[in-house]
Amino acid sequence: MFRTDEIIKASKLPPEGVAMSRHIDYIYFIPILFVTIIGTFHMHFDLLAGDWDFWIDWKDRQWWPIVTPITAITFCAALQYYNWVNYRQPFGATITILALLAGKWVTIWAAWWWWSNYPYNFVMPSTLLPSAIVLDVVLLLTRNWTITAVIGAWLFAALFYPTNWAIFAYSHTPVVIDGTLLSWADYMGFAYVRTGTPEYIRMIEVGSLRTFGGHSTMISSFFAAFASSLMYILWWQFGKFFCTSYFYLTDDRQKTTKVHDVFAYATLAHADKAKMSGGKA
Amino acid sequence: MNAKKTFKLWMLGFCGMATLAGTPVFEATPAFAHGERSQEPFLRMRTVNWYDTEWVGKSTPVNGVTALKGKFHLSEDWPRAVVKPNRTFLNIGSPSSVFLRLSSKINGTPMFVAGPMEIGRDYEYEVTLKARLPGHHHIHPMFAVKDAGPIAGPGGWMDITGNYADFKNEIKTLTGETFDSETKGTSTGIMWHLFWAAVACAWVAFFAIRPMYLVRARVLAAYGDEILLDPIDRKVGIAFLVFTVTVVTVGYLSADAQYPVTVPLQAGEAKVKPMPIKPNPLVMEVTHAEYDVPGRALRMVIHATNNGTVPVTIGEFTTAGIRFTNKAGAAHLDQNYPAELVAAAGLTMDNEAPIQPGQTVDIKIESKDVLWEVQRLVDILHDPDQRFAGLVMSYTDSGERLVNPVWAPVLPVFTRLGV
Repeated sequence: MFRTDEIIKASKLPPEGVAMSRHIDYIYFIPILFVTIIGTFHMHFDLLAGDWDFWIDWKDRQWWPIVTPITAITFCAALQYYNWVNYRQPFGATITILALLAGKWVTIWAAWWWWSNYPYNFVMPSTLLPSAIVLDVVLLLTRNWTITAVIGAWLFAALFYPTNWAIFAYSHTPVVIDGTLLSWADYMGFAYVRTGTPEYIRMIEVGSLRTFGGHSTMISSFFAAFASSLMYILWWQFGKFFCTSYFYLTDDRQKTTKVHDVFAYATLAHADKAKMSGGKA
Repeated sequence: MNAKKTFKLWMLGFCGMATLAGTPVFEATPAFAHGERSQEPFLRMRTVNWYDTEWVGKSTPVNGVTALKGKFHLSEDWPRAVVKPNRTFLNIGSPSSVFLRLSSKINGTPMFVAGPMEIGRDYEYEVTLKARLPGHHHIHPMFAVKDAGPIAGPGGWMDITGNYADFKNEIKTLTGETFDSETKGTSTGIMWHLFWAAVACAWVAFFAIRPMYLVRARVLAAYGDEILLDPIDRKVGIAFLVFTVTVVTVGYLSADAQYPVTVPLQAGEAKVKPMPIKPNPLVMEVTHAEYDVPGRALRMVIHATNNGTVPVTIGEFTTAGIRFTNKAGAAHLDQNYPAELVAAAGLTMDNEAPIQPGQTVDIKIESKDVLWEVQRLVDILHDPDQRFAGLVMSYTDSGERLVNPVWAPVLPVFTRLGV
């Protein structure tokens, strides 16, 4: 079914080397890569789009679909670079959003429910997993990060609102409290007291992205798609900057060369390594 | 570094982390206040002057309804360092949502969203609360000003008895359904999160069941990616793409069909009119004020004229929610007002006699108590603008109360020498 045998053969690793590589896969993938993404991306995401994701009464038609995908696509692009360019693995975005949501749910349970006693529905996060899967699939199918930036990143942002409407549609049901019309989400935000979060800090449909007869969501989603495309390009390059390995080799004629093939290091002669490390191999 | 030493270091680190993690379990005690005393004195004294604050019902069972109400005056001496109250929100300072806020009205106007308020005017508020989480809770009215932050009012204790498991808050929507705010939407949300997590895990697992990193990196470096790009990956990728887009579309359309009537989030501006200005025959102005540091006393000289027809007696000076009263003021004290915020005999005057109709007097008033220190209002001497503001309450013989806002610069007195 798979080309696994062919790939292992081409790797020229002995059987014990292959077995060891699987151990490295398991140790590296979950305890190191996944947890590192949780620790880094979760914090970054919450600093930039936290309130939109924490509170049900922040999830408006304008800023929520703009801020969330643009913020989320950053690490997705960088992790896609790392996983695709070094290993041709097309799950960088999906693993990133999975890690983000793992961190989110730990926070929701531990910080919002257990510690602060807010009900789960009040702090329910949005999901970007369908967007991430589509982004990964586009990279796999096109094998081209530029096309992924145009098509994949656009789909990433455009899918966000319809995906989450299935979760949050109910929160836009109208209610009347004290003779005032509110959405259910507004009522939740009012009823559940947040001492340090007064109402006015919400950003609800403010700004100029509101033409086309009130179709705020469509315009916001298209703007988010365009901005996500640019973000993708920027963060792919960040991924390249931070995830490119190389070393410098000085030959017998004292000519120094930058070598990107990190595996070549393992094949260097003992004496060559000694040259690189100042005589101490 | 040998393995034994590495193991020792790891164990040491592990023990340290375990100690840190375990400390809160054994040592943490509940916090009973919200740091209101750490707010600078000019914020508490010269912005919102709270009065008549009432914590209705000291003990309420879960699901029981109670209220927090009172009045506030926005000081004429509003500090330059604080943004003017052009967008404000009346909030509740509480340890999380121990009460559910059912209604919040200022001068009878519902305050779901923020709005502007006028400096120098008075407002009456009432917040209806539904008891949710059992416990002994410190509750404040709180006035939040955009770009300035929350300004805490006086804090009082409110108890909630019973069991949280009994709590319900069902509201009928305009479309005729009944939603419980504690649970509505939770199971649907969790279901969708679990579903998409399962799909995402399946996508990653499809690649994780084969060698993931080292083997592929070697092949890529040696031969390029032709071998690595397995044809089945493309087929599965297309299947995931079609499946994902289909489920998103179906989910969107079914949610739209289930909730056909929706409204966008509402975020307007509350238009609240201040209380009508009540004619006040007593006119007063502070001509001199000083804070006696060793004596813990604010002394002020008030130039007052009674333009009314009946004598008036000064009974109280209040600032930052703290009340200094003399005998006349103590007679009007609400007995439920937090004792830790009252200096019942803290107000003295050089002339206790009522101000007669038509009379103009200069009265030296001293509000003296350790509360200046305890409530950290003595930090006024560290403010960049050393001024105070507050309200002076006076009473007629018939019990009518006159409220006069006062404010002035404060001179510090650091020593008793020469007194």
